[in-house]
Amino acid sequence: MNMPSATSPAIHENATREILQLHRICLQFGAKHVLKGVDLSVKEGEVVVLIGASGSGKTSLLRCINLLNTPTSGGIVIDEEVLFHKEAGGQRQTMISAQETNRIRSSTGMVFQQFNLFPHMTALENVMEGPVIVKKQSKEQACKRALELLGLMGLEEHVSKYPRQLSGGQQQRVAIARAMAMQPKVMLFDEPTSALDPELVGEVMKAMVELAKRGMTMVIVTHELGFAFEIADRVVFLDQGLVAEQGPPDKILLHPEHPRLKSFVGRFHESADLLRPFLEARQAEKS
Amino acid sequence: MFDYTVITNNIGLLWQGLLMTLYFTVITISAGLVLGLFIGLIQLSTFRPLVIFGQIYVEFFRNIPLLVTLLWVYYAFPIFAGVNVTKFWAGFIGLSCYVGSFYAEILRAGVLSVDPGQTDAATAIGMSYGQRMRRIILPQAFKKMIPPLAGQSIIQMKNTTLLSTITVPDLLYQAGYISSFTYRPMEIYTAVGGIFLVILVPLTLLSRKLEKSGALAK
Repeated sequence: MNMPSATSPAIHENATREILQLHRICLQFGAKHVLKGVDLSVKEGEVVVLIGASGSGKTSLLRCINLLNTPTSGGIVIDEEVLFHKEAGGQRQTMISAQETNRIRSSTGMVFQQFNLFPHMTALENVMEGPVIVKKQSKEQACKRALELLGLMGLEEHVSKYPRQLSGGQQQRVAIARAMAMQPKVMLFDEPTSALDPELVGEVMKAMVELAKRGMTMVIVTHELGFAFEIADRVVFLDQGLVAEQGPPDKILLHPEHPRLKSFVGRFHESADLLRPFLEARQAEKS
Repeated sequence: MFDYTVITNNIGLLWQGLLMTLYFTVITISAGLVLGLFIGLIQLSTFRPLVIFGQIYVEFFRNIPLLVTLLWVYYAFPIFAGVNVTKFWAGFIGLSCYVGSFYAEILRAGVLSVDPGQTDAATAIGMSYGQRMRRIILPQAFKKMIPPLAGQSIIQMKNTTLLSTITVPDLLYQAGYISSFTYRPMEIYTAVGGIFLVILVPLTLLSRKLEKSGALAK
């Protein structure tokens, strides 16, 4: 399989370039302060995993990156282009036309918890929709690339099926292909395996690891700490709308410092401990 | 006794009336759909004044009896505006505006019933508002709208009989005319009822079938 061009192997040679920068992102719903000034920058080719208790603002932060949620204040820069900038308490300072917003936004790809495939289109049409309608590519060109991406996701046999004919894991992989078809600079994953049956989680994770190997820049919100450990270059722990601690996965997940991170990760260790006897029993059965 | 010759002798007049009824059904449904789409989308916008305008429009035409609207457009509006309004235009405007308000509500409900995740997904791949509506939201909303749209359109065909009150020669008007010189209202009005049944029952069944296939497609 050929490399999708958005994820060229040259990326690692230039790995210090920051592709996504968030400056003091604040988000408020009514009186509720969901995000209280989050700073985060992501380097090209880096895989960042956001963890935190529910309500800590992980999903909200992810949705701010492509303006599905408009921050109350803060700045968003994607590959040196300003997508959003507004001083706290001030007016929106950088006026960007809706057209520009849509263009810069489409340089991020998003994968949702509930897949959100377009039910009236086949898998192939879902993947072709963005390139044909938004990027005005020719159908032949878009189709060729869509087939390539669906192949990369292991879905060659399912290209002409409708979402309702696919399993959750297959739907989610179509959704990844759909986002990748726009040749994004950053891929955003919002709890991509939370809505899946346990036996389907693995195939989606495998597809994501495949993307990471190919040098795709990724920001992932997940509750699967084991998966975070495996895929992340950096783990960011959000707590009450702020970055509480961040660092390499072994440091954050195995040697946490922040008290709330300690208890958060502790529960993960506990559940892993609880499961161990069952797993060992199963292994024993097999052998 | 039931005298069929009253119907067969005047079949030409009934036919003319039926054509007029069908003609008004088709043109007012078409205009109503355009109006409904327009008003419905206005109500879904985020611009307050437009939303309020849409609401006023819908409540205005939904809450005034259609007969009053028709009579007002035909008899009162020309005096207010100082223009001449023919009965055809009055009928067309009154019926279209009326059904448009119902279509607008059906459209609004249909669009709101589409999962917001669809808007998220379409937005995330960079689609503009228009592209989202045209390619993603409306095609899905439309499937859910087929049964209520069909229902409202069937009501619309029945409502065209009110045109007879402003002397548009529709089916009911012709029936009244025929019974005025044959003195056989029983046969004539039975025939009119029968004609509506023959046209609308199959359409109702068809819309149910569409509804089922639409439900399967989801």
